[in-house]
Amino acid sequence: MTDETYDLTISRLLPATPEEVFDAYTDAEKQKIWFSILDESPGIVEIEVDLRVGGEQTAVWGPNRDELFRETQVFRVIDRPNRLVTTSTGSSPDGATMQTEIDVTFEAAEGGTLMTVFQSGFPTVEMRDFFATYAMVGAFDRIEAYLVRQ
Amino acid sequence: MVQQSESTVDDATLDRIFAALADPTRRGILSRLGESPATLGELADPLEMSLTGVKKHVGVLEDAGLVTTEKIGRVRRCRLGNDNLDDALGWITHYQKLWERRLDGLELYFTLQKGVGE
Repeated sequence: MTDETYDLTISRLLPATPEEVFDAYTDAEKQKIWFSILDESPGIVEIEVDLRVGGEQTAVWGPNRDELFRETQVFRVIDRPNRLVTTSTGSSPDGATMQTEIDVTFEAAEGGTLMTVFQSGFPTVEMRDFFATYAMVGAFDRIEAYLVRQ
Repeated sequence: MVQQSESTVDDATLDRIFAALADPTRRGILSRLGESPATLGELADPLEMSLTGVKKHVGVLEDAGLVTTEKIGRVRRCRLGNDNLDDALGWITHYQKLWERRLDGLELYFTLQKGVGE
């Protein structure tokens, strides 16, 4: 079968050192500042961080108490100032949840730090890819061949 | 963005998918639904199959998450995919916006700090 999946990758060059970016990204008080710095109207942002392997970071945010998103990240790898790996469980206001892996790297670059977020593990999308690759293009022979080998 | 990563679909789900795709009639139904959604009757006609027969095949495809059905009035309409796929796409869009917000915030935070420092 295919092992392709849709993952999320996003990068940004930030005007600071990797240490400064890592600390701003992981410090609860600093997070509250930069997370809401762009908000036009005050909403709810609550962040708690227990920065140790196995520890949790919980962030709750939203425009009001009835429309809150929650994200709990469990720290897996803490390699200051280079890399941070977490398992994330996101919850939307309607109660739906999604568990993913988040791998963030902080690389020194000209002009500052290249911060790259790689988020993976959107499970049903892989199924969609599988479907798109094998069923939609009509390549059923490959599936038959696979089944014959079983 | 397409990346290589480890499989996250559990074995039971894959078993259902492969079992569903192993049957040529069900593959024909998928190909037909790839063109457009269809009712059970519209699927049954070209297959020269009874409604009960095609309903059984569609049920197997639905269990595998390959097809979604919806009762509209007196007919059952079938289409490719399932609601979980739409949910997953919704999460990706949500996280894309969340990360853009976080990185925009960090960028402005450091830009302002740098401005104050200078």
